[in-house]
Amino acid sequence: MSSAAQQLPRTESRTLSGHEGAVLAVRFNHDGKYCLSCGKDRTLRLWNPHTGAHVKTYKSHGREVRDVNASSDNAKLVSCGGDKQIFYWDVASGKVIRKFRGHNSEVNSVKFNEHNTVVLSAGYDRSVRAFDCRSQSSDPIQTIDTFQDSVMSVNVTNTEIIAGSVDGTVRTFDIRMGRETVDNLGHPVNCISLSNDRNCILANCLDSTVRLLDKNSGEMLQEYKGHICKSFKMDCCLTNDDAFVVGGSEDGFVFFWELVDAPIVATFRAHSSVVTSVSYHPTKTCMLTSSVDGTIRVWT
Amino acid sequence: MASHDDDQDLVVYGTPIEREEDISARKRRAVADAGQLRALPAWKQEVRDEEGRRRFHGAFTGGFSAGFYNTAGSKEGWTPQTFTSSRKSRAEHKKQSIYNFLDEEDIKDMGGNALETSQQYDTFGFTAAEHARKQASKEQNERPSAIPGPVPDELVVPASTSIGVKLLMKMGWRQGRTIKDAHADSLYESRREARKAFLALSGVSNDEDQDQIASQKSRVDENVAESFDKISALGNTPVYVLHPKEDLHGLGFDPFKHAPEFKDRKRSHKSMNRDRNRSDVSVRGSLLISNSGQYAPGFGIGALEELGVEDEDIYASGFNYEQTEVDIEPSKTSGDSKFKLEDRKRGFFLSFKIASNSEYKLERFHPPEIPADFDGRHKFSSPIQTADKFSDLAPPEIPPPEDTTLRLLIEGCAAMVARCGKHIEDFYKEKSKASPQFLFLDGGDGCSYYARKLWEHQQKFIDRQRPDAVKLKPSSDKLTAENRGTILGERPLDRSSKSSSSFVSAKEAVQLQSNLGDTFVKPISLDGVPESKKPFRNEPAKQARFEQFLKEKYQGGLRIANLIPTITMSEADRARERLDFEAAADAIEKGKEYKAIDPLSILGLPGLNEQRFVSSTQLESSAVLQDERSMYPQREEFEWRPSPILCKRFDIVDPFMGKPMPLRRPISKMDTLMFMTESTKKINEDVRGSSTIPQNASVAGTEETEPQEAANNPDIVSSSMQRPVDLYKAIFSDDSDDEMDEPLNNQPVDPVKTSEGANMALNRLVAEDFLESLGRELGLEVPPEKPAQPPNVLFRSEILPKADASVSRNGQTSTCREINETKGSFSLMEAANANGDGPTSNVEKLDLKYEHSADKGRSHSSHRQIRNGSPESDTSIERHRSRKRRSHHRNRSPTPDSGSSDERRSSKKRKSYSRHRSGRSRTPDADLSSDSQKNKRKRREKRSHRTNMSDTDSSDHEYKEKYTSSSRRSSDKDRSRKHSKHRRHRRKDSA
Repeated sequence: MSSAAQQLPRTESRTLSGHEGAVLAVRFNHDGKYCLSCGKDRTLRLWNPHTGAHVKTYKSHGREVRDVNASSDNAKLVSCGGDKQIFYWDVASGKVIRKFRGHNSEVNSVKFNEHNTVVLSAGYDRSVRAFDCRSQSSDPIQTIDTFQDSVMSVNVTNTEIIAGSVDGTVRTFDIRMGRETVDNLGHPVNCISLSNDRNCILANCLDSTVRLLDKNSGEMLQEYKGHICKSFKMDCCLTNDDAFVVGGSEDGFVFFWELVDAPIVATFRAHSSVVTSVSYHPTKTCMLTSSVDGTIRVWT
Repeated sequence: MASHDDDQDLVVYGTPIEREEDISARKRRAVADAGQLRALPAWKQEVRDEEGRRRFHGAFTGGFSAGFYNTAGSKEGWTPQTFTSSRKSRAEHKKQSIYNFLDEEDIKDMGGNALETSQQYDTFGFTAAEHARKQASKEQNERPSAIPGPVPDELVVPASTSIGVKLLMKMGWRQGRTIKDAHADSLYESRREARKAFLALSGVSNDEDQDQIASQKSRVDENVAESFDKISALGNTPVYVLHPKEDLHGLGFDPFKHAPEFKDRKRSHKSMNRDRNRSDVSVRGSLLISNSGQYAPGFGIGALEELGVEDEDIYASGFNYEQTEVDIEPSKTSGDSKFKLEDRKRGFFLSFKIASNSEYKLERFHPPEIPADFDGRHKFSSPIQTADKFSDLAPPEIPPPEDTTLRLLIEGCAAMVARCGKHIEDFYKEKSKASPQFLFLDGGDGCSYYARKLWEHQQKFIDRQRPDAVKLKPSSDKLTAENRGTILGERPLDRSSKSSSSFVSAKEAVQLQSNLGDTFVKPISLDGVPESKKPFRNEPAKQARFEQFLKEKYQGGLRIANLIPTITMSEADRARERLDFEAAADAIEKGKEYKAIDPLSILGLPGLNEQRFVSSTQLESSAVLQDERSMYPQREEFEWRPSPILCKRFDIVDPFMGKPMPLRRPISKMDTLMFMTESTKKINEDVRGSSTIPQNASVAGTEETEPQEAANNPDIVSSSMQRPVDLYKAIFSDDSDDEMDEPLNNQPVDPVKTSEGANMALNRLVAEDFLESLGRELGLEVPPEKPAQPPNVLFRSEILPKADASVSRNGQTSTCREINETKGSFSLMEAANANGDGPTSNVEKLDLKYEHSADKGRSHSSHRQIRNGSPESDTSIERHRSRKRRSHHRNRSPTPDSGSSDERRSSKKRKSYSRHRSGRSRTPDADLSSDSQKNKRKRREKRSHRTNMSDTDSSDHEYKEKYTSSSRRSSDKDRSRKHSKHRRHRRKDSA
């Protein structure tokens, strides 16, 4: 365990700067070769985090961009933000293929499904909406509005849609079974992240606690504490070997917890301000953090 | 007189022939008038021809003519301008001469003297030369010449033009043209050329100079409109360099090369310093800058968007562009300020310089002499001296001397001294030398007592003064009770007795408790009980529940079953809470017993006083934590229906494929009916299984589980779709339900638990019974002929609630005792039904079994009903169904309703007739598919849609039957058929 902890990405290899103002999210693409970031400057940026090269900037959003996701074939992007729309981009040309409308308010999170055919979005309007990438229509094919409050995060497996909301619930919508499973955590859920075996749900709650749930039973497996998460939407994730939980803090620190026993394995100051997003490389020991201070840092 | 009369009678037609002399006279007059005419204003002038006549062409066409036969001037009049392409002759513009505006007369008036500009006449040119020559010859004539003859005139010509003008003309300048354009341009060009050359030499970055050039150009352009001499003066005006080099950087060094915004700021700053006139601009600029910094760092929002909450920079720590002026050239600015200072010093006259050694010297004064006897200590007058003494240690308490007179004297003296000061004592001392009474002042008898007394009095005096001093400050603002309390040194006591009421908020209560505990032991009996009754005051909801619990425990009386909804609590939580309540209630009871002994023991209730009983609160909090842990995460499961397209996109088989949409709220009548079928069928099954199940329960159950049931058993749904008989039944029973809908509210509840089948059958009859009686009570008239159909409340309830009663009475058939005839018809029909039912139930066993039995039950019950004559027996059951029915109503209400109750009544009449006939004629008719069904259906139709039935002949009827039987297969069609039939009937009715 200690050796594993030793290998955690703690040294800053480079800083990706270019965003003006806060960077709200940073995401590795499917194979981890590139990363996408978005921020308050209304742009999406495509980077090569391993060389530090800024590949492309995507501009079209009218307000801040809150989340971005790349399709598994790296051909398309989807992004959402304060302008209530979901933009479906062509990566190469940098053009907007489609704008999905339907949300009545800001959109907090957006994801592709496994086949890149459906875009799922979670919005401040207390709904999760599914948009069809294959049709010309910009209207949602399904709207899930059982949430009581703003939906902060959405995640997709091949059969399920999992969303976390400020009403304190993590809702799992099983398409195969036609069931909605509501796990009430009692605290506003900021971010939903899935373990790599897809059996556990990691939920970052606004009471400065990250909770690990068993997806099938709904049982709480562990709580991770020590960081500050009280007022901002901040990401959390698991390392690619599911051994550690990674989370940012409002004071600019990054925390690593051991998965099973939840001790803080490592913590270091990554940014001067709120760490908005963390993303872990799918295979290598590499991590990205983004912050309100306008920088993205690559840790190896 | 007579001639006058003649004049009056004379009528003159036409214009008189003018004589020659008259014409000439008029001509003369016209010529004379011409002079006057010019004096007249424009609107009084008249157009006349050369003869001086005014042309008049009829009153209708406009009076006197103007111009050339009503045109403007020429024989051709105004010829419209033809289009000519200006492509070739673009720059050409027509030269207009005065002749374009003058007519022949004017030209004639001018006498052929055309005004022309002459090339010769110019002050510098030919005319001037001519003039000069004439002048010269004149002078020559006057004075004698050295060389006689006209020769020198030809040889020596006086110069008319200056050499400068000549030069200008050589350069292309002509009189009449301004020199500005060419001049300015050439100036600009030449300057630019020179600058270019300079730049090439020095290699200075272009932009700044470009600026200069541009500004100069604009300056030149400004001057373009000005007059010649000014332009000529331009050459002499010094060219101001707008951006003089004021810094100490090297030539071409730009400290803001990569930060143009700072450069701008710097410049604006500088200009602001230079002249205050331009300050507003720069201020605006800085405002803009600061604005953009506030919301989102680095970028604002679009012009069309409005600034919302979301635009605020929530990460306020982000980018704060501090506008600190970095002084890159410190020497310069310091120099600036120095110059400015000097400027101010010197005033306006810059040429004056400060003298190096001035006459003026600063005069210094020596400090005042300190008197030799000054010791640096100040003696205060007596009152403050006492204050000094106050700090002294109190003399020990001394018993007063035995001599009372001495004691009184000492006390009086002490009081006096304390009040007036030390000098009184001295005075007394003086006196004491004379009289032995004051010996105590000098250390005699009672000296120590005096000292003590004096101290006491002084103390008192100071005390009296002190509050005054304290008061002095807060007297300005109001002296509240609290202030006074603090002055007096009291502990603030919260409203003790009043606050004991249950209105105290939790926080206050806790505070009060602690205060009470701290200040003094208060007899808690006054407020202890109500206080202690609120052990959960930190949780208002829980407290409310606890109070409810206490009420239930100790007080009797009626109350609502569950006052505070505890939906959010699980069963276990509720149990735990109840235990808590019990404990708390016990504690309160105990507290009542021995509160007098230890009032605070009562506070030992868990969670009562967190400040005092830390351990207990910890326990509580940990319990809460545990609670939370056990409470969260809670898992609940619901059914969720993914849209088919979503399933398709996820490559998942739709779990709800082929199943109808889940019905939270029935969307269409169709759906409702289908599920009705299900529920009724299920009910019937239940009845068969165990006839003791109360109907309300089963109905409620089916209703609630409807969607899930439908989802879980798709085969049932589909089967229902294939079995329209169930549908009929559903409609049938539904009808009876609907009949009951109106009177339900005022019907006394009398729950009778009968078997489901009987209930189903009874419903209708009961409703009819009731409606009939109601109608009778309302005193509505009964139509002479009674149709044997139940009222169609279904279609009427929304539109004609009043007419309901009457019609329902009409519809009340089987139990109507007054009209035997109708009764007869009913029994006849029943018989027909019975006949029909027998064989068909055998044929369609599966489908009609329940139907059959239900039918039988119905007939039985109807008989019984008639016998019993208790119409309002079963309404409670109806009530349970009312919800369902209401939904039906909702669904059906949009169907087009027939017009009036009158029409309905008449149609009913007609229908009853047709039914009689058909009932009689059809019964033996075995050819048709299923008689019983038909009959049943007929009856149903009659019952439910009686209104719309028409008196058609039998063939028509038959056709209808065929139609219905053929379309019976699918429930979909069935429903549509029903509607279409209604419509058709109605149409016939109107026909």
